[in-house]
Amino acid sequence: MGRIRLSVGLVCLALATSVARAAPPPKASPPPDDVATLAARIDRLIETGYVENSVEPAPLADDAEFIRRVYLDLAGHIPRVSEVHKFLDDKATNKRLALVEELLKGPHYVNHFTNVWRALLLPQNNNQQVQFLAGQIEGWVRPRLRDNKPYDQMVRELLTAPVVFNRGGMPQRNGTDFGAIAFYQANESKPENVAAATSRLFLGIKLECAQCHNHPFARWSRKQFWEYAAFFSGIRPQQAQAGVFSQVLDDPTKREIKIPNSDKTVTAHFLDGKEPKWKDGASTRATLAEWMTAGDNPFFAKAIANRLWGHFFGLGIIDPVDDFGEANPPSHPQLLDELGQAMVKHKFDMRFMIRAITASRTYQRTSRMTDSSQEDPRLFARMPLKGLTAEQIFDSLALATGYRDPQANSAGGFNRFNGARAEFLLKFANNSDKRTEYQTSILQALSLMNGTFIANATSLDRSETLAGLLDAPFMNNRQRLDALHLAALGRPMHAREADRLLSYVERGGPSGDKRRALADVFWTLLNSSEFIFNH
Amino acid sequence: MTYPKLSRRDWLRLSAAGVMGSSMSGWLETLAADTAANPKRKRACILLWMTGGPSQMDTFDLKPGHANGGPFKEIKTSAPDLRISEYLPKLARFGDRLAVVRSMSTKEGEHGRATFLMRTGYQPTGPIQYPTLGSLVSRELGAEDAPLPNFVSIGPYRFFNAAAYGPGFLGPQYAPLIVGDGNQFFGQQGRGYEQALKVQDIELPGGVERVHADARIELLQEMESDFISNHPGIAPLSHKTAYDRAVKLMKTEANRAFNLDEEPPILRDAYGRNLFGQGCLLARRLVERGVPFVEVTLARVPGNNAFGWDTHQQNFQAVRRLSEVLDPAWGTLMEDLKQRGLLDSTLIVWMGEFGRTPKINNGKGRDHYPNAWSTVLAGGGIKGGQAFGKTSADGTKVETRPIAVSDFLATICLALGIDPLKQNNSNVGRPIRIADKNAQPIKEIVA
Repeated sequence: MGRIRLSVGLVCLALATSVARAAPPPKASPPPDDVATLAARIDRLIETGYVENSVEPAPLADDAEFIRRVYLDLAGHIPRVSEVHKFLDDKATNKRLALVEELLKGPHYVNHFTNVWRALLLPQNNNQQVQFLAGQIEGWVRPRLRDNKPYDQMVRELLTAPVVFNRGGMPQRNGTDFGAIAFYQANESKPENVAAATSRLFLGIKLECAQCHNHPFARWSRKQFWEYAAFFSGIRPQQAQAGVFSQVLDDPTKREIKIPNSDKTVTAHFLDGKEPKWKDGASTRATLAEWMTAGDNPFFAKAIANRLWGHFFGLGIIDPVDDFGEANPPSHPQLLDELGQAMVKHKFDMRFMIRAITASRTYQRTSRMTDSSQEDPRLFARMPLKGLTAEQIFDSLALATGYRDPQANSAGGFNRFNGARAEFLLKFANNSDKRTEYQTSILQALSLMNGTFIANATSLDRSETLAGLLDAPFMNNRQRLDALHLAALGRPMHAREADRLLSYVERGGPSGDKRRALADVFWTLLNSSEFIFNH
Repeated sequence: MTYPKLSRRDWLRLSAAGVMGSSMSGWLETLAADTAANPKRKRACILLWMTGGPSQMDTFDLKPGHANGGPFKEIKTSAPDLRISEYLPKLARFGDRLAVVRSMSTKEGEHGRATFLMRTGYQPTGPIQYPTLGSLVSRELGAEDAPLPNFVSIGPYRFFNAAAYGPGFLGPQYAPLIVGDGNQFFGQQGRGYEQALKVQDIELPGGVERVHADARIELLQEMESDFISNHPGIAPLSHKTAYDRAVKLMKTEANRAFNLDEEPPILRDAYGRNLFGQGCLLARRLVERGVPFVEVTLARVPGNNAFGWDTHQQNFQAVRRLSEVLDPAWGTLMEDLKQRGLLDSTLIVWMGEFGRTPKINNGKGRDHYPNAWSTVLAGGGIKGGQAFGKTSADGTKVETRPIAVSDFLATICLALGIDPLKQNNSNVGRPIRIADKNAQPIKEIVA
């Protein structure tokens, strides 16, 4: 309790006395050339698009906008007031690059991307029971992200993972095994489900339509779907009725599958028409993994590059990101090609791509629309507004309000099924793929307006952040308002809103009570679009 | 949507004159046939969802005299040809308004999958996020600026399949307003439904006065208009719309819909003092106020060991108790709607995720059975007083006109004046029809 007040107080003290703290510029090393080169290339190709479409791009975001954006994108939550202050004060010329480095090294980056990959690896909520596997999937993803395992290796490990528990005795207590098995269980240990999932996730190809008939829009035939599914033909559930809880069985060298409702059997074939070279002793899935993650695979590298792009921009160069095909052409085909080549060249190091993207001017443009020519989001003339995941919303609210979960364990893990965070995750789960078209529901609005969490956070008695602010005697109301804005939005008040808000507080709102008026402003900030979106 | 106003006679005349092309979907034919009802009257749908899979052999398709029949007797209804369980006497008085579909035949026997199938019309395969019936219907029938949400879900039990209760690819603005979320009240012994049937978070939190709440909204609106002017687009607009509607709900008379104490106690008694009974009363109030789709779930009856209708053991005892909750609620609902002149424009759908085995098991129970089971359509748009489709004498097989879920949902659409073949854009980019294109609606029971 005291710590929060103290840190809020210190920040406000610094503001109040307007001392430009001479923080020594951090000794960030000059950016590796490849990052700068690729970033410049991104900008070059995007800017060609501006010229061709007579677009006037938005200016670059200021530091406050940038730090909030990059924290949300990399760490999954807004920055603390102290972190904002430190960044705004920093005089180093490449501080934005340095910030990215700092975030990439931190545990929150690992947490956030673990959440991102878990959401991708688990089929979205069509089967409630699947959510029970979430913990295992996360247990598989987390160490790999932490150790920055190359992406192609991760995919190979997942595709070739042993899925059978030890015979008779307890299953291996090794988290790795459980996690990969959970992926197969989540797909009900059915070859066609695993096929559709892996194709969508790792190749960016939605094959589902072709499962039952020739794909109506793309070129995939039913036969091709099942020839791809044949790579997983060895997988089957031990007890089909047990659904996702069934143990998984495997016949590692099986590579034929019968097309349902027909008497045709097909053999495993690659999607690009290449013939598999079956090696003695190599499992069917290993053969697939080798083809899929090869540098010359026409889909693999571009798919991950595009997915990462989509993460940072809210929409991919091909969008939706898992729907490569003639009906869905890339907005910047050459850029996508080069991003794919860069992934291969850098051995599928995801952090490299993240560095390059975030170093680009394109990523750093403001989200404010300064010219009507910026309207088409596919030209990336300004940063699109991005919806937040439920985790991002809650974790950001918790930071802004000084909330500490009584059930959080020492490792920072949260109870998945109970407590404020779990309730929140349920209410704010958003199944929509289009983060740039995030939809808010009435219940969500009510929850933020009147729900217990925000009520506590804006209550004069129960909120630590508010209490810290109101008790600091050396601050005037303008400074208090700035502090609230910093906590919630990562910026001080704009000049244009300062007078209005100050007069509201000075007259004490509708009841003549200045403390209540400040609480009102805090409530407003937490309910605003500016809070709830990544911009 | 504008409908051409044609009577059946007009349509036939024009058709004979070759004016109507053969490319017209069956929808137009339906509307023309719908001469009794005024096309302008707002239609509504109340879905009574029976979690667990209700036993058809002990409710609407009894086989007295057969070994599989069990101890329940049949009683006559107000329709000469229709008989139902003796434990549904209030409902029996409305036999002439019921159409029982006895030949349901579907393929899913697992709770989660079957719930999804029956509530969306599609199997839960892969990434397509199919919307639930309520979202689809309310989207077609509801007005965008209505003060109340167009889709309300009362007491849902979502654990079997949460996605089957969601708007899927239609987006959050078509999500239901949920009251009495079933998960939380599973442990309740019937009490606590009063609190459950209120909109969560609609009340100002303690310690916040009305004047401050209003002032906050004003501050927020100022802030939002500034943000939106700099960031035009769908996302902030949706945010603003949700908040506007939420505030409207808080402030206007619309929220009073949830005040059940406005109803006379004698009526509340008649519905039954439990979550389902009072939920049906709430449904009537909502429909009365223009909400086009309300669903009420019967998932729990105090004192029952079985979970909902999932009567694997002690089937008869459990179904009797369930019927003793269902009958007063549904029977009173029919009466109440009729007295207010709403029955003709309100379609009531009764169903669960599947039926139960004709053969009684060792625990005096019945297990899951999707091969031959029953659903019921009642009220507006329906030709009542009949049972459609026949099962064998032992109840194990459908003998005439097996009805798949798509056929059933298409029938619902027809009764509501909605085109079942209408396509919506899905999250995989592929357009998805409300009902599968091969669906054969049961024209015989649509008025």
